[in-house]
Formats: sequence, structure tokens, C-alpha cells
Amino acid sequence: MSRVRNSSKIVVSLKRVIGILGKNNKLKIGSSIFLALLVIGYISPYINRLRLGDKRPDALAVGRRWEQPSVKFPLGTDDYGRDIFGMLLIGTMYSLSIGLLAGAIATLIAVTIGFISGYKGGITDHVLRTFTDTLMVVPLWPIYMVIATYTRKLPLETVAILLGIFSWPGAARVIRAQVLSLRERAFVKLAKLNMLNDLEIVFTELLPNVAPYIAIGFINSAMGAIFAETGLRLIGIGPPLLPTLGYLLSITIGVGMLSVRPYVVAAVVAVLSLIFVSLNLINIGLEEEFNPRLKKVTGL
Amino acid sequence: MEKGTILEVKNLKVYYKTIAGDAKVVDDVTFSVYHGEIFGIAGESGCGKSTLVEGVYRIVKPPGYIAGGEVLFEGVDLLKLSEEEMRDIRWKKMAYIPQGAMSSLNPVLRVEEQMIDAILDHSNISKEEALEIAKKSLSELGLPEVVLRMYPHELSGGMKQRVIIATAYALRPDLIIADEPVTALDVVSTREVLQTLRELRDKYGATVMLVAHDMAVHAEIDDRLAVMYAGKVIEIGSVTDIFYDPLHPYTKGLIDSIPSIAKKKLIRGIPGIAPSPLNWPSGCRFHPRCPYARDICKAEEPELKEVKPDHLVACHLYGGD
Amino acid sequence: MKPLQKYLLKRVAAYIVTLYGAVTAVFFLFRLIPGNPIEAFIGQIMATQFTQAELARKLVEQYKAEFGLEGDLFTQYVNYMRQLLRGNFGVSLYGFPRSAQELIFQSLPWTIGLLGLSAVISWFFGVVLGALTAWKRESKVGAVLAGLAIVFSQIPYYIIAVTLVLVFSYMLGWLPATGAYDPSLSPGLNIQFILSVIKYGLLPALSLVLTQAFGWFLSTRYLTISLLGEDFLVYAEAKGIKQSRLFRRYVFRNILLPQTTGLGISLGFMIGGQIVLETIFAYPGMGYLFSRALGMLDYNLISGILILQSFVVLTANLILDLVYPLIDPRVKYHE
Repeated sequence: MSRVRNSSKIVVSLKRVIGILGKNNKLKIGSSIFLALLVIGYISPYINRLRLGDKRPDALAVGRRWEQPSVKFPLGTDDYGRDIFGMLLIGTMYSLSIGLLAGAIATLIAVTIGFISGYKGGITDHVLRTFTDTLMVVPLWPIYMVIATYTRKLPLETVAILLGIFSWPGAARVIRAQVLSLRERAFVKLAKLNMLNDLEIVFTELLPNVAPYIAIGFINSAMGAIFAETGLRLIGIGPPLLPTLGYLLSITIGVGMLSVRPYVVAAVVAVLSLIFVSLNLINIGLEEEFNPRLKKVTGL
Repeated sequence: MEKGTILEVKNLKVYYKTIAGDAKVVDDVTFSVYHGEIFGIAGESGCGKSTLVEGVYRIVKPPGYIAGGEVLFEGVDLLKLSEEEMRDIRWKKMAYIPQGAMSSLNPVLRVEEQMIDAILDHSNISKEEALEIAKKSLSELGLPEVVLRMYPHELSGGMKQRVIIATAYALRPDLIIADEPVTALDVVSTREVLQTLRELRDKYGATVMLVAHDMAVHAEIDDRLAVMYAGKVIEIGSVTDIFYDPLHPYTKGLIDSIPSIAKKKLIRGIPGIAPSPLNWPSGCRFHPRCPYARDICKAEEPELKEVKPDHLVACHLYGGD
Repeated sequence: MKPLQKYLLKRVAAYIVTLYGAVTAVFFLFRLIPGNPIEAFIGQIMATQFTQAELARKLVEQYKAEFGLEGDLFTQYVNYMRQLLRGNFGVSLYGFPRSAQELIFQSLPWTIGLLGLSAVISWFFGVVLGALTAWKRESKVGAVLAGLAIVFSQIPYYIIAVTLVLVFSYMLGWLPATGAYDPSLSPGLNIQFILSVIKYGLLPALSLVLTQAFGWFLSTRYLTISLLGEDFLVYAEAKGIKQSRLFRRYVFRNILLPQTTGLGISLGFMIGGQIVLETIFAYPGMGYLFSRALGMLDYNLISGILILQSFVVLTANLILDLVYPLIDPRVKYHE
């Protein structure tokens, strides 16, 4: 089998994937919402520049304190004069970035360890598996909490890396299980007979079949990271300078804000809900596509 | 309705809804089964045999649906009954042995529970009595009593199949429909199962409708059989008629492809591939693969006609030209 | 029963190894974080009481001994393990001079009560409804619930909690926003107290139940649906069995196994408490305790809670592993 055939095989599977993506309702709705959020998030600095000039929305006194909602400040300002709406916009970008980055890191680690563990087997597998299992039991996010509490300035990338590192064991297990079951299948043995080396087998035969689990694992990790960062930030644990949605949420449920403008919470809740719902839709859509029996659900 | 007919299928249509339109898997099938006979349904995989019996037994699952026709069982049209009425008939009057008995048993229940639950739900028999019946049925099939307390995964394929047959016959139904009962079994188990079916007919007067793609099985125990192709019945006759005097070219092809120890012969396959139910060929559906095809075969669908006593065939080679 | 013994041995050995690994990991992970909590603590005391350096130094030494922080890391480790085997987590900084285990066991009932109850209630409703509505294939209720489930099962419970507090505490004023019981009452086994506990626990529990129940609903629904295509179900229907028996013995029994295991595992994890939930509601459970401990770098309390959680999770897993073959006839003890 020539290498040309292998690469065209990958192209074919990619095309098939894109074809599938177009048909499933859940995938379409979920991806659209998420994409919209992503776009809004990433162009938000520009939007804010139009609205506020050079000032960041979370800069103190970017507006007057306790401004009523107006055209300039659609969600008003808080008792420090910060622009809530602007913070909502860039908060989306920050939270999504953390999620995606953490998801990518977690997935990378999970795939590497899962594949090595599942494919090599033997002692390597045993050691890696015990390692993974131990990490699943000992929660690692307290470390994140401590680091976040005791270091003043944590950049977004570090936060994402930490969250990613702490969430890979789950996905690694799933991937390992898949690789393990695929390894014994006929087409892998065929590839071996065709003198493909291990790396080639991994990329051309195994990866396409494990891909759905990797994708679902990625989304789970991303959701988990956003969940963790937002939740912890809500109770005040997290790097103080990152203006994520979690931070915004903590501002809007402060007693002052809650009694003066309770509806502002609704806006933040809405955006956060959209993030999770859209990701979940994508997740479920992917699961339905790769396990077609689930599609028999009537109604949705 | 003729005397002695237990089942009469008239113009039965079972279609499957697909994105590409309706797949006409069973397309206007008509035949009769007489009391106390073993009636076979033969044909290649994918010709609609299994769907046919699912339609008769009314267990067609979506996206399949019954698109028309009548199924007269002892004079009553099953297709017009309500679910409750149908459930009443099931197992007491008419039993079903599914394809793939291996996976037909509930893995988390013991054999005895699965054998008697049908009995319990269909009568007022007490649990102890039902267990007795189950024990007796098992022994009739050569299975020891200890099987009752076992779980399905502890039994071999042949044993599971016999448990299923025993369960089917526990309430002494008038008609037993068996879908590929011996396909996955070894030779010894096959023989035992076929022997059992024969006994059911001889000793208890049951009628058996047997679906199988293996012609040798049909030759072994059928009294009469129908041959299906592409969703339609193309020949019906007694087992001797079909095997010694096959009329339809397809039937001839099927029989020619049976290897024989007795005679050395050239085994012929049937050229071409089976057509798709989404796009049956026009006219006589066999015409693309038929060595005797003529112009009329492409244009017109032949009717199932009685060409010799009790021997029907749907082919333009016979009857009236 | 040779293979059984072999399996048991292997499994228990793995359990012990993992437990040991977890305990060691917990120990080292926190000690390696820079910062000396004792000094900070002492510093606080000094600021209010003592100003003599000599006295302060003696105090630091004394406390170090008390808190097991004297000697190098390795010595600390050995002492720590030794104490652990006696069930002693050490003295707590946060609740000084009380011991860590005292604080833990005081907070445990609140966590188990709130989280445990919510978990079980969610599980029950989610699983039963999920199976039933999936069983009746054309169920409209099922489709609606499934739609809601997709939305609610993954929205973080704290967002729902915030919304609930907004509506029921601030806007309607029906339910309290913080605390586990009316502060004017003292704990006791009387009706007043119990009612108060229920009233205060309603919002936190609701936030949890809404997300978890929908989660169980969805997973059960998918499980049931994949079951519907199985051969044995078709055959059972062909036998003309009553619908109720069909559901109970053929469908429900089959989904009960994985779902019960899932419940067991999730119950194991909830021992550590839910930090965010308990902090939002100032609910005096393990999670709340944990966040306070973290804030002070109270090693003993932190590691105590983590070790307890690791222990419970691993033991729950072990029990499930050993018991599962007894309930699922298909699974045999093997490796």
C-alpha cells in the first residue's frame, strides 16, 4: 500500500466527517450558537474600542458609578464604574479561550497517554493505567485553587494549562479502551502485514476510528475547564486580573448589584447557559452520529 | 377459504421507509399454509423472507410498516386486530422462533423465568404448574432440568436454540413460525432441531412455517415450500415438485447450486447480484439474471399461476404462451 | 476457587497501592507549595498578643511540632503516615486547637445530608422517568423532557443556584439564601429545627437536583433506547408478554445495573463536598470547610479531607468491583 493511498484515505474520512456535520440538527444548532459566541467574543475588543475608546471595560471608572443602562452602557456600570456590557463581551472571549485551550491541552495529553497505553500494552500500559487511575481519584483542582489564591498574577495561558493538566485522566481512559479494542481488529493486522510501521498505523488506521471519542473528550474537557474556572471564580478563587465570565458573575451577584439591578445577572446567566448548551448540543450530536442507534429518539 | 388452511396470506406488502423512498421489501405476497404441514419459505438473503414472517406475526418495527394486504389466521385477519387481541393470539395460537436465538434470551434472567413468563401472562396457570410444563418441554428436546436455573450465557448455541423451541411449543400453539432456526448451528444440533420440528408435526399436529436460505434444509423436512425472490413469491409447490421439477429459472438455479455427495455435478451459481429493494427491476424481477429472458419479461410482471396441480409459478415461460 | 482468589488478591493489592499513592500524592502536593502557613498564623497571633521574638520563636517550634512540620520533608512524611494509621489527621489550623478529624466529622453530616439526598432523589427520578419515557417510544413527554435535559444537564449547578436565589430569595423572599438552618435555633432533634433545615436546604438541593436529575434522565434514556433494538426484546415481545412485565424484567433490569454502579461512584465522589455550592449558600459542609482550609493553607485539614475523599472513592470502587459480578450474571471474576 503506498503512502499516497494512506493520505487520500484521511482526506476521504475528513470529507465524510464534514458531510455528517451538515445533517445532524443538534450539531448544526450547537455549532452555530457556539461559533456565534466565539466570533462575538473575539471581535469584542474591537467593539469595545468603538464604544469606550482606549479604556478597557473592566478598568475602574471607565464610566460613572452606578450608571443606568443606556445606549452607551447597555447594562450600566457597577459601583466601581466598570462597564458591565463590555465586560460581558470580553468575558466571553476569556472564558471561551480558557475552555478551548484547556481542552486542547487535556486532549493532547489524553491522546498521547491513551494511545501509548492502549497500543503498547504490557508493563507500559500497567504503569500508565495505575498512574491515570490514581490521578482520577485525587482531585487536582485544589492545587489549582491554591496556586490561584497565592499567586497574584496568573496569565490566561497558565490557567488554561493548569486546568487542562487536571482534567485529562477521564478522556485518557476512554481513548485507551478504544485503542485497546481496535488494536485486535482485522484491519490493523492487515496494515501490519502491509509493513506499515507503528506510527503509520496509529495515524492512518487507528486515529480515524478513535476520532469521535477524541472530539467528545475535547468538548468535555473544555466544558469542564469553563465550569471549573467560572465556578471557582464565583466564590473568589482564581487569578484576580482575568476578566472572565466567572468574575463578572461574582460582581453581579454582589449584594449591591443584586438589589439595584437584579436583571443584570440574567444577562450573564444567559450567556453562560448558551455556552454550555451549545457545547452540549455538539457533544450529543457527535454521539448520535457515531452511535446511530441513538437517533431513534423521537422528537429531537 | 379452503378446508384445512390454517394461514392464508393475501397480497401482503411490507415496506421500509428510507430517505431514498420506500424499500418494498415484501411486495404483494400471496400463499396458503395447510394444517399440519411443514411449509418452507426459501430464497437468498435479502429477498424478504424474514420481513415476511415479521409481517405475518405483526412484529414489524419502524422504519418498516405494513403497507397492505391480509393475513388470515384461522379465518381472522391479523392485520385488523388490536395490539391486545394480537397479544392474546401470540404464543397460545401462534408462536415465533426468531432468527439468531443466540441473542434472543435476556442475559440477566434465568432460563426458567424466560420460559414461563409467556405461559404466566397468557393463562391462569400457577407458577409451579408452569415450571412443570417448562421442564417437560425441555426434556422433550433432550435438555436436562438443570438448564432451567442457568443463565443464557452458560448455554451453548444449540442449547439456546432448543430452549427457544421448547418455549415456543410450551403452550401447544397451532402454528409455529421459525425464522432461520438452524442457520448458526453445527450439523449435529441442526439435525436435532429439525428432528424436533418434525416431531412437533407428527406427534402433536402442529403446523410449522420454516424460513431458511439453505435449500438442503428445505429438502430435508418441508412438505411444501414457497420460493421468494426480490420481495415476491415466484414458485410454490410440494417439496418433491420443487426439487424434482423446478419450474422457475431461479428455483432451478437454487437447486443446481446445492452440492451433492451422490452425484458429481458442476455447481453453478446464479450470475449477477441480488437487486436492491429500493429499485426493483421492471417487469419480472429476475429478468436481468435469467438465461431465458425475453422481451415480455422486461415489460410485464408475471402472475403466480397454478401450472400443475398444487404447483404455482410466476414466469412467462409457462401458462398461456 | 483458584481464579477467584487470584482476582481478589490482585484487586485488593491494586487498591492498597492506589490508596498509598493517593495519600502520598496529597502529602507532597501541598507541602511543595511555597509559603509557610505557621509563620503567617503565628504572625497573626503576634500582632495581637506577643511581641517578643524569643517567645515567638519558641511558639513557632512548638506549633511546628504540633502540626507535624518539624524536621525535613521525609521525617514529616514518616510521621504523617504513622499518624494516619491511627486515624489522626493532625491539629487543624483553621479550627485551632481542635483536631482536623473533629472538624471533618462535624461537617460531614451536612454534606452527606444535602448532597447524598439530592443525589439519590435525582437518580431515582431521572432513571425511572428516563426509562419509562424511552420505553413508550412515541412519548411526547419524553421528547420534551429530553430537550430540557439537554439544556439543564450541563448548565453548571451554580448558575442555576444563582438564578434560584435571585428569584426565590431576592425577588420573592420565600426562601433563605444562606445557611443550613435558622441561626436563632439551636440544633436538636425537634420539629422546628428539622423544618428549618429543610427550608434552608431547599434551594441548594434544588440546584443540584435539577442538573443531576436531568443528567440521569438523559443517560438512562440513551441506555434504554439502545436496548430497544436488542434481539431479546423483540423476542420477548413476540412471546406476547404483558407490557408491564416487559418493562420491568426486560428493560429496567438491564439498565439498572450500569446506572446503579454510576450512582455508587458519584456518591463516592461527593464526600469531598461541593465547594462552590456550599460557599454560595454558606452551607457548613465539607466543601465549605475545604475552602476555608485552603485559604489558610491548613495542611492537616486539607490533606485530611482529600485523603478521606480518596479513601471513600477507592473503597466504593473496590466494593462495586467485588459486588458487581454477584449482580450481573454475565460478568465473572477475571482480570
